[in-house]
Amino acid sequence: MTTLLDPREFRVLEGLRFNPRKSFTGKIRGERLTRKKGISIEFSDYRDYAEGDDLRHLDWNVLARLESPIMKTYRDEEDLAVHLLVDCSPSMDFGDPPKLEAAKKLATALGYLGLAGGDAVYPRRIGLKEMPMPALRGRTSFVRLNSLMLAPNNDPIEHATLSGALRAFAGSSARTGLVALITDGMDPNVAGAVRALGGRGHEVFLIQILSEVELDPDLEGDLRLLDSEGPGKVEITANSFALKAYRENLKAHNAALRDAVLRIGGRYALVKSSDSVESVVKNVLKREGWVA
Amino acid sequence: MSLQNAGALAWLLPLAGIIILLYLLRMRRRDVRVPATFLWPERTEEIRANSLFQRLRFSWLLILQLLALGLVVFALARPQTQQRGLTGEVTVLVVDASASMGATDVSPTRFDEAKKLAREAVESAKVGDRIALIEAGPNPRVVFALSNDPASQVGKIDAMARSDAEVDVGEALRLAAALVGTEESARIVLLSDGVFEPVKNFSHGKASLVYKSIGSNDHNLAVSALGVADTGQGRQAYVAVRNPSGAQLGGTLNLYADGKVFDSERITVATSKSWGKTVAVPAGAIVVEARLEAKDLLAADNYAVAFANPGSSLRVLLVGKGDLYLEHALSLDPRVTLDRANEVPVEERGRGIAGTYDIVVFDGVAPTPVRARGVLSMGAVGPTSPVESIGRVQSPQFVSSEETKLLEGVDFEGVYIDQGLRIKPKPEGKVLATSSVGPLVVTSTGDQKHVFLAFSPIESDFPLNFSFPIFIANALDFLGGESRSGDLLVKAGQTFNVPSPESVSLRHPDGSKSESASNGSTAVVREARRVGKYQLVQQGKSRWVYATLRSDRESRIAPEVDLQLGGGAVRAVESPLRFADFWRPLILICLLVLCVEWWVFARRS
Repeated sequence: MTTLLDPREFRVLEGLRFNPRKSFTGKIRGERLTRKKGISIEFSDYRDYAEGDDLRHLDWNVLARLESPIMKTYRDEEDLAVHLLVDCSPSMDFGDPPKLEAAKKLATALGYLGLAGGDAVYPRRIGLKEMPMPALRGRTSFVRLNSLMLAPNNDPIEHATLSGALRAFAGSSARTGLVALITDGMDPNVAGAVRALGGRGHEVFLIQILSEVELDPDLEGDLRLLDSEGPGKVEITANSFALKAYRENLKAHNAALRDAVLRIGGRYALVKSSDSVESVVKNVLKREGWVA
Repeated sequence: MSLQNAGALAWLLPLAGIIILLYLLRMRRRDVRVPATFLWPERTEEIRANSLFQRLRFSWLLILQLLALGLVVFALARPQTQQRGLTGEVTVLVVDASASMGATDVSPTRFDEAKKLAREAVESAKVGDRIALIEAGPNPRVVFALSNDPASQVGKIDAMARSDAEVDVGEALRLAAALVGTEESARIVLLSDGVFEPVKNFSHGKASLVYKSIGSNDHNLAVSALGVADTGQGRQAYVAVRNPSGAQLGGTLNLYADGKVFDSERITVATSKSWGKTVAVPAGAIVVEARLEAKDLLAADNYAVAFANPGSSLRVLLVGKGDLYLEHALSLDPRVTLDRANEVPVEERGRGIAGTYDIVVFDGVAPTPVRARGVLSMGAVGPTSPVESIGRVQSPQFVSSEETKLLEGVDFEGVYIDQGLRIKPKPEGKVLATSSVGPLVVTSTGDQKHVFLAFSPIESDFPLNFSFPIFIANALDFLGGESRSGDLLVKAGQTFNVPSPESVSLRHPDGSKSESASNGSTAVVREARRVGKYQLVQQGKSRWVYATLRSDRESRIAPEVDLQLGGGAVRAVESPLRFADFWRPLILICLLVLCVEWWVFARRS
């Protein structure tokens, strides 16, 4: 089987789990504690006995000393919904290596983290006409996740925008949970869409991938710039003034996106398409506490 | 400001239209796909335009290019401004160096004022201006040719010296016109007091003519006449003083005989009047000088000299069809005042010696009876000739000559005579030279002396021989009577010849000395430019040379406002205007604009 991750990267990911700041209500019993009272081994509180309670949770020691029936309650353990959103819009095809290639590897790595942690992983490829994949659970589902990421982008949605796709996702009935969004953020309205995700209750882990040519474009002369995702055209004279203005605009756009993510309690990181999965895991996910 | 080539401005609109049209063409840009365009500013600088039209947008490059075009077109229109100043782009300064320019109404003299103006003009000349200077002296002289070298030119101006001569300014103006008359932008600037005869036969061509008048006053007394004659009452001198100015003037007139005062009188002369008197000259005196001490403005005409010696000055009438060689030879003698005529004037005809002229020269014309002391006839026989004609002969050859004063220094050997006369001397005739066909030179003496030459100089190469002027000078001595003293009376500034195999030196009245080289037989002396008494040293012997100014015109020193030059009137200008081109600074500004345009282009691309 061809995998996007090599064994070394698997070893780096081994033993790591997502570390969201929020607790989410699970759908089925899992390995994550919730605020709900449940039947795990994690003690939560005492309460008076009520008729019909399971006597297996009666604290017999208290009853013996105080002759009062007190029930022990425990926190419940449920699974975590990890929505793995990979931006597959045309803008992700730029860069060397292409941003999309790096995004898919990172998505595969994050998906493996979720699968290994017992979470419900919902992979979605934004910008393509394809049905959402049902939740993947357990390491055995990695094969399906890997296959999805390796699949070609055959059926792109015409004039789809990143922000539109994110708002559509926020408006859907998807379980609230952790949204791991891997994108280049090349949409002027993406910050608003991110805030919509936060408003829906999701915790957003946003990894923005940019290529070297986007961070430091090497353009010269009189050009007509064609937008890869739409009909937009801009005529420029690529001189020092234009390049300086571009860098300032990119910096402001990234800052706005970062602020939007942090404001909803999410996490944000900017990586280059040339960064390896290993370096992203070590320098971003582990160092900044995205995983534990 | 005016434009010399206003038609060039017509190019401005079409050329500007072409530039704007290039900016109206849409830029053909290279298409580049980018992830997103919203991050890129709409920032275009139209550097090249090459296809289809678009909306004209503001561009500094367009503005700078239009500005540069405007400057170039404006420069091609050759704008010029009027400025105060004597000189233009091409200027010939003509400085009057005549006697009247020595007037002191402008301190120190008018001539110095003219030099000062010329100096200022040279020093204020702009880069590219070319200036020449001609000194209008007895002989017009180009002091410096058209050039722009203020340091050298100022030095030459400072070295200029005035003469006390009457000057033909027309010659200098014609020389100036020959230099720049074909250039439209040229100007001829005459720095003068206008005291000269009206100039005829002069055209300044395309050049403009500016007359800067110098002088402000006309107070002047002049010794207008001085003559000495032997009369029944002894030797008498007649002296006259004229006042051509507009105010009554006075002074003291001193008369000297051989350097000693013999008469002095305080005189007062009314405006436009003359004063004169006759006074007895001490017996034996030869040189009579008149010196006028007056507080007038011109000193040169306050001095006059007359010789009691009849040979010291000669009035000569040349009758003939015209022979420049002969005229020149006669004029070279400082004693001679020459007149020319085709035939003898009626009042001079007859016998005797009491005529207007001392000597009459018949050149190829049969001599007729004239009232003169001597007659020189050449190539034709008349009733008064000392010979009789037998006929004409071809190519007579010189055979021999007598050793006489008349033929001293004269050598006929080798002289080619095309045609001559076969003659027979009359009884009174004395043959001094003979040819292969008979007498060649015959003289006669008596009341009227006669020298006969058997051929006309124009029919031989005798005028080209060095002996010719010597023969003429000897003939004048023979016919007019030799000067007993050997002293010379010349006009100041006049060039005169001195027969001398060696160079001669001239000691000036101020004590300075000058040397004149000899060509082996004659030394040409040009340095007696100022009025006064010079000492000529020749082969160890010295003689006096008296240089005087006797010119009624130069004595009328009132500066002229209107001049008649070449048939047209030229009015003096107080502060002449010049047209100065300023296309050069426009081109410099244009280059600067193009540099800025290039900098903007490079910075934006």
